[in-house]
Amino acid sequence: MPEPIVEIKNLSVYFYTYAGVVKAIEDVSFDIYRGETLALVGETGCGKSVTSRAITKLIESPGKIVNGQVIYHRDDGSTVDLLKLSDEGIREIRGNEIAYIFQDPHSSLDPLYTVGYQIGEAMEVHGKVRNIKEGIAKAVNILREVLIPDPENRVKNYPHELSGGMKQRVVIGIGVANNPRLLIADEPTTALDVTVQAQILELLNELKRKYNATVLLITHNLGVVAETAQRVVVMYAGKVVEIGTVDQIFHNPLHPYTTALLRAVPNPLGKIEKLESIPGTVPNLITPPKGCRFHPRCPFAEERCRKEVPKLKEIEPGHFVACHRY
Amino acid sequence: MEPVLKVEGLKKYFPVRSLMRTVAWVKAVDGVSFEIMPGETFGLVGESGCGKTTTGRTILRLIEPTEGKITFKGRDVTQLKGKDLLWFRRHAQIMFQDPYSSLDPRQTVFNIIMEPVKFHGIEVDDPEEFVIKLLESVGLNEMHLYRYPHEFSGGQRQRIALAKILALQPDFVVLDEPTSALDVSVQANILNTLKELQRKHGFSYLFISHDLGVVKYMSHRMGVMYLGKLVEVGPAEKIFENPLHPYTQMLLSAIPIPDPELARQKKRMEVKGEPPSPINPPEGCHFHPRCPLAKAGLCDKKEPPLVEVEKDHYVACWLYAKA
Amino acid sequence: MAEETGEYETREEYEMSILDRISDRLIDGFASFIGLFKKDWRRRNQSRIKEWKLMAYAVNRSPPTLLGLIIVIVYIFIGIFGPYLAPWPYDFFPVNYNYSTQLAPPGSTYFLNVTQLQNGYIIHYTTYIHYMLGSDTYGRDILSILLSGARTALVLDIFIILIGPTLGIILGLISGYYGGAVDETIMRITDMFLAFPGLILAIALSAVLPGRIQNFLNAHVWAQTFVLKLFALHPRDVNNLGKLLAVFVALVIVWWPGYARVTRGSTLTEKENLYVEAARAIGLPTRTILFRHILPNIIGPILVMITMDFGGIILTEAGLSFLGLGAVPPIPDWGNLINQGSQQFPQAWWLVAFPGLVIVTVVLGWNLLGDGLRDILDPRTRRSLEFKLKKKSKGGEASA
Repeated sequence: MPEPIVEIKNLSVYFYTYAGVVKAIEDVSFDIYRGETLALVGETGCGKSVTSRAITKLIESPGKIVNGQVIYHRDDGSTVDLLKLSDEGIREIRGNEIAYIFQDPHSSLDPLYTVGYQIGEAMEVHGKVRNIKEGIAKAVNILREVLIPDPENRVKNYPHELSGGMKQRVVIGIGVANNPRLLIADEPTTALDVTVQAQILELLNELKRKYNATVLLITHNLGVVAETAQRVVVMYAGKVVEIGTVDQIFHNPLHPYTTALLRAVPNPLGKIEKLESIPGTVPNLITPPKGCRFHPRCPFAEERCRKEVPKLKEIEPGHFVACHRY
Repeated sequence: MEPVLKVEGLKKYFPVRSLMRTVAWVKAVDGVSFEIMPGETFGLVGESGCGKTTTGRTILRLIEPTEGKITFKGRDVTQLKGKDLLWFRRHAQIMFQDPYSSLDPRQTVFNIIMEPVKFHGIEVDDPEEFVIKLLESVGLNEMHLYRYPHEFSGGQRQRIALAKILALQPDFVVLDEPTSALDVSVQANILNTLKELQRKHGFSYLFISHDLGVVKYMSHRMGVMYLGKLVEVGPAEKIFENPLHPYTQMLLSAIPIPDPELARQKKRMEVKGEPPSPINPPEGCHFHPRCPLAKAGLCDKKEPPLVEVEKDHYVACWLYAKA
Repeated sequence: MAEETGEYETREEYEMSILDRISDRLIDGFASFIGLFKKDWRRRNQSRIKEWKLMAYAVNRSPPTLLGLIIVIVYIFIGIFGPYLAPWPYDFFPVNYNYSTQLAPPGSTYFLNVTQLQNGYIIHYTTYIHYMLGSDTYGRDILSILLSGARTALVLDIFIILIGPTLGIILGLISGYYGGAVDETIMRITDMFLAFPGLILAIALSAVLPGRIQNFLNAHVWAQTFVLKLFALHPRDVNNLGKLLAVFVALVIVWWPGYARVTRGSTLTEKENLYVEAARAIGLPTRTILFRHILPNIIGPILVMITMDFGGIILTEAGLSFLGLGAVPPIPDWGNLINQGSQQFPQAWWLVAFPGLVIVTVVLGWNLLGDGLRDILDPRTRRSLEFKLKKKSKGGEASA
């Protein structure tokens, strides 16, 4: 039995906007196992980013975590509910034990400071070094670890002097600077070219092995999922619809949404006869459909799907699905 | 068969100005040649900054080419003026990447579609019915006739853009990353519509994209661009089965495959470096600093010519050409 | 291919106030009116009509904007009919008949023994004059001058707004769209005008221009008649027109550069939108792209600016009049009254107070309207307004 590092239980996040209450995620539960790469997949607006941010209470107004628990298991065996921690307490964990890498490397670095300073600062905040000077010295090692050539000089560079791929390496460097237990990468390669993407994914894998860390990878790119993740959580309209290992998800998808999604992606190496699209649009999350949220677009929808919200059921070991058909 | 479009030695250099003087040139497109047959889709792939978008726009003369010849239905596009240029504008169209800025927010769908029709003096008996028919052929309906773009989703906007192109009955359409701003489920839908329209009307497409999977799905033939040059041209099937140029091989090994089993079996090649800036591209073969097979003294000195290795399959690499 | 059709037919139920019903009626009436001339107009512009109604609801829910709108409507009404509503003509000088009418305080009444030449006869009669708002040094009724003066202000406003912003917008569009040398040239000229303090330039111009304009008017009778009609002035005042018009020309010249700047800036960002390139790909001429596609998309902030400037022009003109430039007595003009009053202050406080109050009110009205328009035209604040409307109607279901 794999041991979890984070258990997310019944997490709900609402956004209170002018238009009404956007139920961005509702009743989301899944575990992240120690040492794995877990991919959180879904289309725009399905709540995958919100989920990842809610883990360390990174939800800003008008958003609010209305319900749920995020149980974090420390290395020493003690557990803590992250959502119950004070702002001070969560800050000690965020960026330290749980670190983030965001999508756009161009805007996640402060253009006014050198990359060395920014890495050093991240360490100094969490008391890993005594002052920034020492941090900058250590930053050289980190830059070497993220495979930036000539780190001694690069440490003095400002972000605009680096290319997109190099910047993302620096961002990853900041992420791993404090030796995090859980690294949350939110679309880390979406803004990058394919050849650079491959290198960044490779780097992430390597660092994960080296630090023995756990990675939560948020992406909409099914190719990236297939290549890097061990387990997958598929989200649709603020709900988890399916959880399983990559092989289970890709070779034996159970939920009609997962099936449809896989048929819509052109595979550059496989034979493509015809892509299939999903009819209809992603629902409005202010007034989501009753029952199963996928039912208006589902070819198998029946009376029950319109009324009852399906619960996650384990169909085969480790393979969960929220659908009335099973 | 005569090609619809023939591009020969197309070049577009942008000046880099400093203190009102030109200090350098960005060679965005540097000697690109290809042909597109009637009813054919030619895919153009490459990473950002390789010049694929500039190529598309230069062909339509939205940007004036620096050098080269563009022949559209037997006429040299670069020399067209006045009425002849309008003829070209009517028969060659473009669909843009970003559906959120490519439609004028202050015009109704009806006006958006009718404007080019009126402007080009195309006779229409009943404009309303005409537009409704077009909307229906792209999967929208008459309810949408007098709406404004902001009332539509991204996928629907791309459909409106498609209807607008259809209205002019062009022979050739540049598709500039038409689905990269959309979600996969919507993307599949737009791609299928594009294919269906091609079958029905015999359009020729220049399909520009960075997504190899999409290009494979759409194209009959394709070209791979790197730093303003075509490094490999050929039938899409052949390029994916048997990529010849090291850059194409690197691209194929870098794209993530949405199938865990295939992904594990995939031939892996070491991917290194990032595309250099097109301001000062490396000498010789532009790819040599990143190429694992580069031969010193040859690849870094002389530019490789585009040679036919197998039937219709061209590649610009010293591995296949004689120095 | 039934992807994403429908679902956009969300019918909003708003809580309608009487004002909303009135504005709905007005808009519907207007739409039907256009419908008389253009068949199908109503159906084709249903989205636009809906938009207008929404804007009207937003105005109805913003008391300051509503107040501004009312002030502006009253101002325009008086601007048009004021000269005919005035109890006394502006060029009737009671001081000739009763010396004590000079600087009469508000609320006083005086008898006048009038001797007038009418149709070749000398006639005598006795009448009385009631000064509700006091009188000026010529014994003229201030209320009457304020009413007649509204015409001067309104004509000035419209004249300058028609020419200044139009010129500025055209130059700004060209400058922003073409860029390069064209842009440089136009913007440097604009800078030259902006570098001068507007008021000083206007002062200089209104000192130079009157003679030339007067000569022109004297040479062209049609122009004379037209201008006199426009301002509702008596033909006797024809020799004072030069100075009055000089201020107009001076203000037009200093009023366009701001618009050129703003329009150029908006054009620069707007032309990056792909729909502009799409228009070029169709082959549309630049003229069409500029005026049919770019201008309607950047007009919002310019409209707000124009609205605010309606007030600004009145203020500047009053300033110039106060300095003794522009309208000279007896031409009715608000600024001129204050100019007179400044020499009699504080004894004859009403000479300053009432015209001042009128100017402040009108300028405030335009500014309130401008602020309201800014909120309504800005898509972001507009959306919040829309939702506020909806929230009310649903009885706080969506309360945060």
